[in-house]
Amino acid sequence: MPFARITNLLSFIFLLMSFLLLMQNSLAAQVRMFAVQSGVLSALAAAVAFFGGSKELFSVAVVFALIKVIVIPNVLNRAVTKIGIQRAVAPYLGTSATLGICAGLVVVAFYAMAPVTALKRLPTVDGIPLAFAGVLIGLFTTVNRRRALTQILGFLMLENSVFMVALLATYGVPLIVEMGVFLDVLVAVLILEVFVYRIRENFESIDVQHLGSLRG
Amino acid sequence: MILLLLLSIPSIASAAIMGTRRRRTMEWIHASATVVALIVGASIGTRIWAGEPVVSWSLLRADALSAFMIGIVTFVGAVAGLYSVAYMRLEFDDNHLSQVRLFYALFQLFIFTMLLAVATDNLGLMWVAIEGTTLATVFLVNLHDNHTGLEAAYKYLIISSVGIALAFMGTVLVFYAASIEVGEIGLSWTMLISIAARLNPNIVKLAFIFILIGYGTKAGLAPMHTWLPDAHSEAPAPISALMSGVLLNVGIYALIRFKTVTDIAAGPEFSSVWLMRFGLLSLGLAAAFLLSQRNYKRMLAYSSVEHTGIVALGLGFGGYWGLLGALLHMINHALTKSMLFLVSGNISLRYHTTEIYGVRGLLKTAPWTGFAFLWGTLALIGLPPFGPFISEFIIFRSGFAAHSTPYAVTGIALLVVVFAGMLASLNHMLYGQPSGPMEARDPLRWSMVPLALNAILLLGFGLTLPAGVRAFLGQVLKTVGVSL
Repeated sequence: MPFARITNLLSFIFLLMSFLLLMQNSLAAQVRMFAVQSGVLSALAAAVAFFGGSKELFSVAVVFALIKVIVIPNVLNRAVTKIGIQRAVAPYLGTSATLGICAGLVVVAFYAMAPVTALKRLPTVDGIPLAFAGVLIGLFTTVNRRRALTQILGFLMLENSVFMVALLATYGVPLIVEMGVFLDVLVAVLILEVFVYRIRENFESIDVQHLGSLRG
Repeated sequence: MILLLLLSIPSIASAAIMGTRRRRTMEWIHASATVVALIVGASIGTRIWAGEPVVSWSLLRADALSAFMIGIVTFVGAVAGLYSVAYMRLEFDDNHLSQVRLFYALFQLFIFTMLLAVATDNLGLMWVAIEGTTLATVFLVNLHDNHTGLEAAYKYLIISSVGIALAFMGTVLVFYAASIEVGEIGLSWTMLISIAARLNPNIVKLAFIFILIGYGTKAGLAPMHTWLPDAHSEAPAPISALMSGVLLNVGIYALIRFKTVTDIAAGPEFSSVWLMRFGLLSLGLAAAFLLSQRNYKRMLAYSSVEHTGIVALGLGFGGYWGLLGALLHMINHALTKSMLFLVSGNISLRYHTTEIYGVRGLLKTAPWTGFAFLWGTLALIGLPPFGPFISEFIIFRSGFAAHSTPYAVTGIALLVVVFAGMLASLNHMLYGQPSGPMEARDPLRWSMVPLALNAILLLGFGLTLPAGVRAFLGQVLKTVGVSL
């Protein structure tokens, strides 16, 4: 079935982009990977719209591409240029350890999503564990990264993956909800951008380790 | 239509305040919007209490549980809203007019997002609104724009957003379970309830874990509570009052909606066990931090983690009495904590510090403030004759009745620890000699008048549960499928 093949392939590429993002050293390259990942996701949405016969989902795919492939990467790039830090990865764990853990998370994802994949009612179901692996990797990245900007990227990866689970599991959520979610994410990123600048001004660094005065 | 009216009040007020230059005009719009919202909210509650099961309009829908929440949001909104006018005059003079405008506009936006979250049948829209509450409050946490405020706001935004993304994952999984049974149902809670018995229990259980972690983050359940003490203590007092008194309850509200579905689909044991675990953990963690707390705003914030834990225990113990206790405790905590955070605004205006050791002799230096603080704290730590004592009693009694004795016993022991820790701090602040000579003067007096309502209601709920209130709570419980 071409539908199942296409969605599986795109899901796989999606997860691959998460890994490629983690392997990049420069922030600009990470943002690029995020944009590519969002592009893949937008293509997936279009594919689901085409095979599932949903016109609404086509417009969702277009708006998604607009926000996550163009607007948000631009916002992030502007922040990267403005704070003038290129090599801003600084994770608590190094790249190889990170990749090892993320590979483990993929296994966990397949295990955790077993009740979902056990019901073979939808052609898209095989992609769900891959999308959920993306959720776990996004979560891990947010926790593992020290710099505010990379934490934001982790959050965005997580967001993308949840969107993808919704695509594969229910062929998207109703249009008004989807638009609300996009609005929330966009506003969140814009606010976070402001915070990145303010943290930079106040602490002379975007290392969130400096944010440690509130304890107990 | 009345729901549309309710939602349009804070949203129009917010937009109007953004376009206003004069401070007095802003204050008038703000104050009258909170009062009008309370009146409209009360009339919705009355309609449902009088026997109309549901008020709905398009995507908006309010059943008894929604009306219960609308009541809490608009009541605390009005009390905190009226207090904030004089408070903001002392905190921000006319040179900081842009901050004042931002404060009032975001205050109203915050109320709007909370009302939307509880007045819709669409669980996706509810998610959007709850994420909206974070976005509306994040600049309020950082209103003073200093190092600690920035730290608190950043943590708040990133942790809440990540947490709530997981709640969306849970929502999607529930609808996956529904859509493979009946096809498209458009994220409607009512539809979901009607087919809940046919849902695949394993998927629903998996979904509930995500929901519990996700909305639990917003409700302040440990171990996802880490943003809470920072955000609640850095925000201006009226916002702390709303965040602790109301916003946490909105998170719990979302949990109750999903718990109802989970209990039908997978049996009540599953959600019960997890709610009790998280509840007890919250209680324990809060107790540890309350024993040696040095900052009174953080003390109140950790106490919110504690009380969210107690409510979660009540939901976990389940049954008519467990849920009734949980609902009552939501009201009591909203009344107590909003009152105390507003009073804490008075204290910090008087002493210019939030350190417990910096505050001595409060009863002498600011008599009314000290008296209100004493009243609220005694209620908060669960002493009779105040409301929280009764609701905690009902909750733990239902715990024994439900054969969850280990949880109930540990819970009560932890309450004793909290009691000791908070009483020591209270003693230190109320009595003794202030470090310098201070005459007896309350920084804000007329603004405290609405707090008398909180104080009287707390006493009222401690002494009696009027038949009308009991009947209304019975209606609320019926909407989530529990009756005596």
